[in-house]
Amino acid sequence: MAETMRFILIDKIVSLESGKEIKTVKSVSLAEEYLADHFPTFPVLPGVLLLEGLIESASWLVREAENFAHSMILLSEARNVKYKSFLAPGGRIEYTVEAKTIEENVSSFAGFGVSENQRIVEAKFGLRHFNLADENPSMAAIDAKVIENMRQRWKLLKN
Amino acid sequence: MASLPIVLTGQKMRWIWIDKFVEFQSGRRAVAVKNVTLAEEHLHDHFPGFSVMPETLMIEAMAQTSGILVGEAKKFQEKVILAKVKKAVFHDYVKPGDTIKLEAVIESIAPEAASTSGRITLGEKLIAEIDLMFSHIDQNLAGKKFPTENFVFTDTFKSLLHGVLVNGAASGTPESEQN
Amino acid sequence: MAMSRDQIFGEVQEVLVDALGVDDDEVTAEATLMGDLGAESIDFLDIVFRLEKAFDMKIPREELFPAESLMNNTDFVNNGKLTETGLAELRNKMPYIELGEFANDPDINKLGDLFTVNTIVSYVDSKLNAA
Repeated sequence: MAETMRFILIDKIVSLESGKEIKTVKSVSLAEEYLADHFPTFPVLPGVLLLEGLIESASWLVREAENFAHSMILLSEARNVKYKSFLAPGGRIEYTVEAKTIEENVSSFAGFGVSENQRIVEAKFGLRHFNLADENPSMAAIDAKVIENMRQRWKLLKN
Repeated sequence: MASLPIVLTGQKMRWIWIDKFVEFQSGRRAVAVKNVTLAEEHLHDHFPGFSVMPETLMIEAMAQTSGILVGEAKKFQEKVILAKVKKAVFHDYVKPGDTIKLEAVIESIAPEAASTSGRITLGEKLIAEIDLMFSHIDQNLAGKKFPTENFVFTDTFKSLLHGVLVNGAASGTPESEQN
Repeated sequence: MAMSRDQIFGEVQEVLVDALGVDDDEVTAEATLMGDLGAESIDFLDIVFRLEKAFDMKIPREELFPAESLMNNTDFVNNGKLTETGLAELRNKMPYIELGEFANDPDINKLGDLFTVNTIVSYVDSKLNAA
């Protein structure tokens, strides 16, 4: 059976101040499939997945603040994403993301990730949030399904 | 149809986000394509119920396109890694069944680093603009220990170039680089 | 093509806003690149590339940001301070920079404070107006 490559880049929400700031953590295990290729003999978490951790953290801030009003929360822009150090298996990173603005369909953030007192990544980015039904009313059921699934995931992450 | 490159052990490569290069002008510009398919299980989480290609994986696909362009300009002698995403702007999302085109251009190149600009398109539609900076780590991280072999540009990455460079047709005049 | 210092400052300001993701009003003439504006190694390279494009000139990184090669050379640094040779080398590489207090206590940790927005403006100015 093929292994499923998951795409959830945070393990747990550590703290959340509604509409303002969220802290999350992720542990890196050698079992994560992409590490075999990134890089052979020098496994480290790919930079884009560090950014994904920041984006997911911010997305939860939005979902909680808007009470899961939207199904789709996507990156609209990222700027000055800097990679300062590597994160290797066995490591654990804590993300801190602060909301600058959260409006109905757009939001902006500044965030960073730290592991063992070393800053690993930092970024400024903006998200956009919407429902598929906004463009196509027949998609409302799909929106509802995605939202329900994300509510379930939220429960797992908050524990 | 593109399939993931298989190495000798029979294991699928899990971190290649482009399928092949369709144009390659050494030292200047490269164009790659990627088919977005449901066979890529990561899509199931993003999002459960409606799959779209995560923007960060589009950034990675562009990083690989640009990174190989920069690496090849240095004859793969340097370990070239992504150091900074200057900007990544997304205008629309991409779904399974879509084939995206990634065009990367070298804006500046120096011994220690390189700067690239890139566009992702879906047919006529502009999906993303992604500008990156790569660092040549041997030149920059003195004091940190790295394995000596070039772990960045494995045979699999280099093999993506076989179709475009060997034929010669797609190559422009390579920039002369003294090494 | 002569550019006034003000014009140069305007272009440099724009480069720093884009490269460092800071606001216009943070980029004052006296702002230090590392301390005030948060610039790091990779940013220096980004800045050099952008300046090259903005002013259509070649800028060897070493010329604009000699700090790293100074700091890594044992002839130039002793006990966390620049030696006389090191100070001379710094003056030589950056003739347009005001050393001021630093000359009396050339602590390498303070080297970063010398690099202000003005440093870049002076550098570009001197290169544009050279032969």
